[in-house]
Amino acid sequence: MYFEDLQVGDSFPVLKKDPITRVQLVRFAGATGDFNPLHTVEEVGEQAGTGIIAHGMLIMGMLSQGVTSWISRKNIKRIQVRFSKMTYPGESIEIIGRVIEKKADNLVVSELLAKNCEGDVKVSGIFEVKLQSRI
Amino acid sequence: MSNVKDLLGLELEPYSMAVEKGKIKELAIAIGDDNPIYYSLEAAKEAGYDGIPVPLTFLQVIEYHGGYGFQEKMEVLKLNPVKILHGEQEYEYLGDIYAGDELHVTSKIIRADTKIGSSGGMDIVTEETRFTNQKGELVAIAKITIIHRH
Repeated sequence: MYFEDLQVGDSFPVLKKDPITRVQLVRFAGATGDFNPLHTVEEVGEQAGTGIIAHGMLIMGMLSQGVTSWISRKNIKRIQVRFSKMTYPGESIEIIGRVIEKKADNLVVSELLAKNCEGDVKVSGIFEVKLQSRI
Repeated sequence: MSNVKDLLGLELEPYSMAVEKGKIKELAIAIGDDNPIYYSLEAAKEAGYDGIPVPLTFLQVIEYHGGYGFQEKMEVLKLNPVKILHGEQEYEYLGDIYAGDELHVTSKIIRADTKIGSSGGMDIVTEETRFTNQKGELVAIAKITIIHRH
């Protein structure tokens, strides 16, 4: 993909993820080393008043999957997100992206959203890519 | 708890950690990311990489497995683990990172302040982590912002 191929307002194809499972949270804890018990232990979730919630970084990982399915991994320069709502096992996340700015040096900035089926935004942010120019 | 502002400028213990292809694959599976560049050197080379690249959030694997674990980090920062939320996360990539690289990691607290909002007070702590490879090149900078509710 070249710098000229993207225009402000362009949307990337939506990435629809399978529902998050408890086993996935255990697997993610092991893979990352993030053993905050809020993500795996029922009693801790009850104590916190939230129940078991997914790792925010799992949702950021899904956003990253979306980004690198749209644009080659080697072109990604920055990803920055804000976690706004908790995500629970059983929820299905959709990853949405749209170009918002084209800058000097062939940099393209896009907004990024992770939503559930009801449209609640769980995580939002931006990513920046550096592309080659045809010119 | 002591004043959160005391954390500003705190430098955490540096460490080094290898980028292992098994851990790359494990993370990709956990996320459900089936991009073949994370699973096979042949696929990565075909796509123009010199090695197996890391998913965009892989550096958290280096941080948790190489550095402080979650509980330890909370103790060092004197934050109550049941009162914290992950507020923001940023990764900036300055160079390539491949399986087999050795990363040297340094980090420090670049923001530590308290805000009083409608739902009570909270501390906001941002840690900046810098990753340098075996050739001495700074390849990535991560920033994590933790919200600690009072």
